[in-house]
Amino acid sequence: MILLDALQAVLAFDVLFAIFIGTVSGIIIGGMPGLTATMAVALLIPITFSFTPLIGLAIMGGVYAGAMYGGSIPAILLSTPGTPAAAATALEGYPLTKQGKGGMALKVSVISSFVGGTFSVIVLLAIAPILAEFALKFGPPEYFLLAIMGLTGVISVASGGLTRGIISGLIGLIIALIGTDPMTGMVRYDFGIIDLYEGVSFMPALIGMFSITQMLALTGEKSIASGDIDLTTIKREKMPKGMWPFIGLGTGTGTVVGIIPGEGATIAAFMSYNMAKAKSKVKNLFGKGNPEGIAAAEAGNNACVGGSLVPLLTLGVPGNTVSAALMGGLMIQGLIPGPELFTTHGVITYGFILSLFIANIVFLVVGLFFAPYFAKISQIPTSILVAAISVFAIIGSYSMNNSLFDVWLMLIFAFAGYFLNKLNFSLSAIILGMILGPIAENGFTQALTISEGDSSIFFESAVAKILWMIIIVLLIQPLFAHFKDRREKAKAMRNE
Amino acid sequence: MRKILSTIALCAVVATSSMAAYPSKTIKLIVPSKAGGSTDTTARLFIDTAKKYWEDADFIVVNKPGAGGLIGFSYEQRQKADGYTIGLMFTPQFVAHVVSKKAKYTLDSFNVIGNIAQDPGIVVVNSASSIKTLDDLVKTAKAKKITAAVNGIGSDDFLAAKQFEEKTGVNFNLLPTKGSTEQKTAILGNHVEVAFMNLSQMLSNHNAGKVRIIAVLDNKRADVAKDIPTSVEQNYNVLMTATRGIIIRKEVKKEIADKISDLYNKVVNDAGFQEKAAKSFIFLNPRPGAEYTEYLKALQADTQKVFDKTPW
Repeated sequence: MILLDALQAVLAFDVLFAIFIGTVSGIIIGGMPGLTATMAVALLIPITFSFTPLIGLAIMGGVYAGAMYGGSIPAILLSTPGTPAAAATALEGYPLTKQGKGGMALKVSVISSFVGGTFSVIVLLAIAPILAEFALKFGPPEYFLLAIMGLTGVISVASGGLTRGIISGLIGLIIALIGTDPMTGMVRYDFGIIDLYEGVSFMPALIGMFSITQMLALTGEKSIASGDIDLTTIKREKMPKGMWPFIGLGTGTGTVVGIIPGEGATIAAFMSYNMAKAKSKVKNLFGKGNPEGIAAAEAGNNACVGGSLVPLLTLGVPGNTVSAALMGGLMIQGLIPGPELFTTHGVITYGFILSLFIANIVFLVVGLFFAPYFAKISQIPTSILVAAISVFAIIGSYSMNNSLFDVWLMLIFAFAGYFLNKLNFSLSAIILGMILGPIAENGFTQALTISEGDSSIFFESAVAKILWMIIIVLLIQPLFAHFKDRREKAKAMRNE
Repeated sequence: MRKILSTIALCAVVATSSMAAYPSKTIKLIVPSKAGGSTDTTARLFIDTAKKYWEDADFIVVNKPGAGGLIGFSYEQRQKADGYTIGLMFTPQFVAHVVSKKAKYTLDSFNVIGNIAQDPGIVVVNSASSIKTLDDLVKTAKAKKITAAVNGIGSDDFLAAKQFEEKTGVNFNLLPTKGSTEQKTAILGNHVEVAFMNLSQMLSNHNAGKVRIIAVLDNKRADVAKDIPTSVEQNYNVLMTATRGIIIRKEVKKEIADKISDLYNKVVNDAGFQEKAAKSFIFLNPRPGAEYTEYLKALQADTQKVFDKTPW
């Protein structure tokens, strides 16, 4: 009965309008590197106080859902992820744009985002309390294993061969060592710079290595995509076949990773991407513009939205920074996370969840409608485009922490990234090492602190055992392929 | 003579107009933590209310997160002393950085305007735990080594745990986490036996019966949680409170500093501000500059003692 009341509340004109405004601004915020959904939600908190609770939450939910999708647009078109979560999308999206298939890539992205987002909200609606129990099963050893599972992705994102891929991953892990040691409080490799106490900021590194290196590579070209792109052709372009298994894969992975507190959409996207490559029949197309990778990554990061709200609404444990900010928004409306949220405040809570459905529909419609127009960006002359993107890259690096140091950091990463890329090292593997290094370290040291040095803690729980199995499966297949490949090459050499 | 008089008059006009002109530019409120957290919300509610009293003034929040507030505190110190930068700070980190010699500022670098809010420390266990009082905790910890989660080294939780160890002679297996979310998960999921946290972080879970706060580390019970006994009641003199106050640079002119103090007084006594703060689990505890400065000095001395014994 509550559900019907909630539905009625959501379908009021002012609430629908709030969802629309929230989602559209979310897409724009997500599309601008440096502006984040967390920031937007934080800005909204004092303002929403003057609205009814449902309207306030509907705007914030719309921003959250919209931003998660919006990040993929510049990632695909300009190799400039608007949010860290869209980094994996850029790996396949940008090559497609260069081939003049940006419109198709955007279409795959928006549809996958919609499916991932919607499914995770259904899960949230149906079985949130059960899933919250699952989320609590993740202790330090499980976090460590999850990070290792993510690190197996180094092999699949690496395009320049296994050895270079592993070296790249290690470079990322070494960069991740900079900053305060979580166990002792000692600061490592800070060179006396306090901006490094918290480690190397992630967004400037990402912008430098993904965006600026690509802009440098563009300087010799007329525009990103050669040849003319016709609007009507893009509009008629169909979604490529065989995407559904990959969307499903991303959706499942994203929902699960989203539920685990502290994990994030970035990791979900990379894990989904990794699994998609393991599953794909056309593995050699990965890195060269395979829509399967986009489908998995985008379904993965959007599925985090619903997932991250599970521990937030049931236990008051926010899954990531956006939901931490959302918690502030809930509390100021007098909605304290916990069981009461689903009973006493049921209409508002269920209304909020339902509003996320509508937010997903809004970005689906907006995304599909504008995709062909967005795709025209790839035709802008590079003389204008490169300059404009460089300005955005600087603003984006600065605005994450309001720090000029981060701008220098971005330029250092751009410079180093350019040469590493030329030498066939994998920038994505570096990024992966940077994201997962701190999680692995934290999980590892915390687990051993709890067990007082006994490493059997990593094999004790059922979740840990399952994670070990997935890690082995993810490792065997690419390693096997690698050695088979080498044997064949050696054979071919001998035959010559 | 006439010339002198007119010069004086001119000076007076210029002086008053430049004074009356404050605030004529946007005032930055520096928040030494990320957007979206409790400290950030405090700042945003503050400027929201401040606009009511200084209608012509513009305020913005500038987030300078990182290094346990150190990046933000240092940034506040480096700004022009013109009154257009107001800094938010939080304890005990604000003084802990001075003690651990990481900070380039000292308490004397700033003019302390006043404290806004406080968040008392707590000792919390899972509701299924057999530990029900601080006595139980000491007994259990003496029988076997138990793990206590604290939010990072040098934080208020860490200092509270160290104080507790010193006063009771127990020895915890200390588990530093990154942020309170990890502590919450560790307690809710039974991964650790006990955690030292802050009241606002666990109050709703306590009320929902998922966890049990066995003590508030304060002299008197918290208004929002009358059912939870204090550490002092249980005969443990372990006190820890996180506070959140406002500072400006020492060199800011007195007239401007007075205006800011006046604004601070108006905001913390504003009914709307109080209501919004209460809903956000921000426990107001206004304390004017002089009193708060004394508190900070005492806190620094206490922290120094802990640091000398076990530096971090």
